[in-house]
Amino acid sequence: MGPVMVGPSSSHTAGTARLGRVAREILDEDPVEVKFFLHPPLATTYRGHGSDFALVGGSIGLNVDDPRIPESLRIAEQMGVEIAFSEEDLGDVHPNTVRIEIRGLTGEAEITGSSIGGGVIEVFQINRFQSRFKGDSPSLLLFYRDRPGMISEVTGILAEEGINIASLYCSRKQRGKDAFMQIDVDSPPSEDALGTIRRIVDMEEAQYLDRIP
Amino acid sequence: MIESFKHLEVVAGNRDLAEVFLETDAEEHAVPAADILEALRKRRAVMRDCVERGKSGGQSMGKLVGEEARLLNEAFESGRTFLDPLTIKAELYALAVMGENSRMGVIVAAPTAGAGGIVPGMLLALEEERNIDPERTVRALVVAGGIGSIIALSANISGAAGGCQNEVGVASSMGAGAVAYMVGGTTRQSIHAAAIALKNTLGLVCDPVGGFVEVPCVKRNALFAVHGLTAAQLSMAGVESVIPMDEIVEAMVRIGRAMPRGLRETAEGGLATTATGLAVAQRIKDEANQRRADKAAERERTAQERKGQGR
Repeated sequence: MGPVMVGPSSSHTAGTARLGRVAREILDEDPVEVKFFLHPPLATTYRGHGSDFALVGGSIGLNVDDPRIPESLRIAEQMGVEIAFSEEDLGDVHPNTVRIEIRGLTGEAEITGSSIGGGVIEVFQINRFQSRFKGDSPSLLLFYRDRPGMISEVTGILAEEGINIASLYCSRKQRGKDAFMQIDVDSPPSEDALGTIRRIVDMEEAQYLDRIP
Repeated sequence: MIESFKHLEVVAGNRDLAEVFLETDAEEHAVPAADILEALRKRRAVMRDCVERGKSGGQSMGKLVGEEARLLNEAFESGRTFLDPLTIKAELYALAVMGENSRMGVIVAAPTAGAGGIVPGMLLALEEERNIDPERTVRALVVAGGIGSIIALSANISGAAGGCQNEVGVASSMGAGAVAYMVGGTTRQSIHAAAIALKNTLGLVCDPVGGFVEVPCVKRNALFAVHGLTAAQLSMAGVESVIPMDEIVEAMVRIGRAMPRGLRETAEGGLATTATGLAVAQRIKDEANQRRADKAAERERTAQERKGQGR
C-alpha cells in the first residue's frame, strides 16, 4: 500500500514532497531560498496536482501526511524563504522530474530526482554527483577526494559497528578529484562511527540521512 | 522475493495469502509482521476517517467536483437508490475519498492518490455489508499491497508512465484480489480476480481536465470500485482469466509505452482538450493570473503605505 498523504496525486504530491524533503535534509538547516526547475511535463501539470505546495512543503521540512502542506506556500513566506519555480528541460528522464537548488544561511545543496508514482522517488543527482538515492532506507552520503582505499576504510568502520550495507554506489567528477559515495544501510551508525568516518583523511563531508518519511 | 504471480501461486500453495506476503516482507526488509499489520491498521483507520469526512462533500481545488459523495449519500439515505447497498457503498466510499483528495485532505495512496478511492471503496463497503471483522480487512490490505508490489516490479505505477490503466487499473486489480481473499477465496482465485479486473482496464488513458485530479478521476474511482467487485465475483464463481496475470501486466506496460504523451497525465489530449476541457484550462489560467495581479497590487499598496508612514 502507498503512504498516508495529503492529496491529490501520489506522483505529484507525495513523491514531490519527499523530493523537497531530500533537498532540505541534505542542506541540513532551515532554507532561505529554494529554486525548483521543473521538467516540461511536470511544469504543465504541477499546479493542478498541488505539486507546488508539496515541493515547498517538503523543502521546509513537512512530511507527506502533514495537513499543513496545502498552506506550505504561506508558511514558507512567513519563514522568510524565497521560492521560485521555473521550467527546465532535464533531458531524457521521467516526466515528473525536478531539479532543486536550496540555500541556507551557511550552506547550499542541489538535487535532481523523479517522482515515479505511489510516492516512490529516485534522486539521481546530488550536488552534481550521480547518485541512486531513493530515501527508503537510512543512508550515508560521503563527499571526498578520490583515492585508493577510501571505500575499504569506510566500510571497515561500518563492519566494526556490525552495520549491514544494503547497497553502495560511488561516482566522481574526475580521477583523483571530487568523489561521492552513497551507502544505504540497514541500521543507523552511531555518532562515534560517524565521527570516525568524518576524520578519515581526504573526507570532506559525511552526512547521515534517515529514511525519508 | 516473489517475482511474478506464477511464482506467487507456487510459493503460497494452500497457505493464507496475507501470511505469505507478511513473511516475504519480514525476510526481505527485516520488518516484523506485527509492524506491517500495525501500519496497515493505521491506513485502514485513515481510510475510514476519510470516508466519513468525504461524505459531506465540499468544493475541490479546481472547483470541478466535490458534491458527488454528498449527493449519492443523500439519495441512499432517503431511499432514492435502486442498486444494492454493497454496490452503492463501494461507489459512495470511493467518491468520498476522492472528494477529500481533491480538497488536499489526508488520504491513503492505494497505490496512488488519483486511484485512492477504489481499494477503500471496495474493502470498507464489503466489510460493512457482510459484517467482516475489521482485522480481516487489514489483512486484505496486505494482500492488496502485495499484488500491487508484484505489478510494480515490471510497471511504473503512474498515469505519466502508462496512463490511467497504471493507476485505476492497478488499484481495481489490487482491490479485486483483496476482496476475493476477504470472502474466503484461494490464492488462485485472488490472482484471477486481479487479472480479470486489470485486463478490462487496459488502454485506459490519463487525460485530466485542466490537469486537476478531478475530471474524470473522481467518478472513475467510483465506477472502477464496482468493476473490481464484479471481477472478484466472477473469480469466486470459478471464472478464470484466459490470459495469465503476468502476461496482462506485460501487455499493460507495452500499451503504456505505445500511448502518446498527450494521453499520459499531461492534460494535452482526450477529455482535457474537448471544448469544455479547454475552457476549464483557460479559466484556471485566468484565475491564476488574476491572483498574481491581486498579489502584486497588494504588495504595491503595502509599500505605498509604508512610505506614507515613513514621512
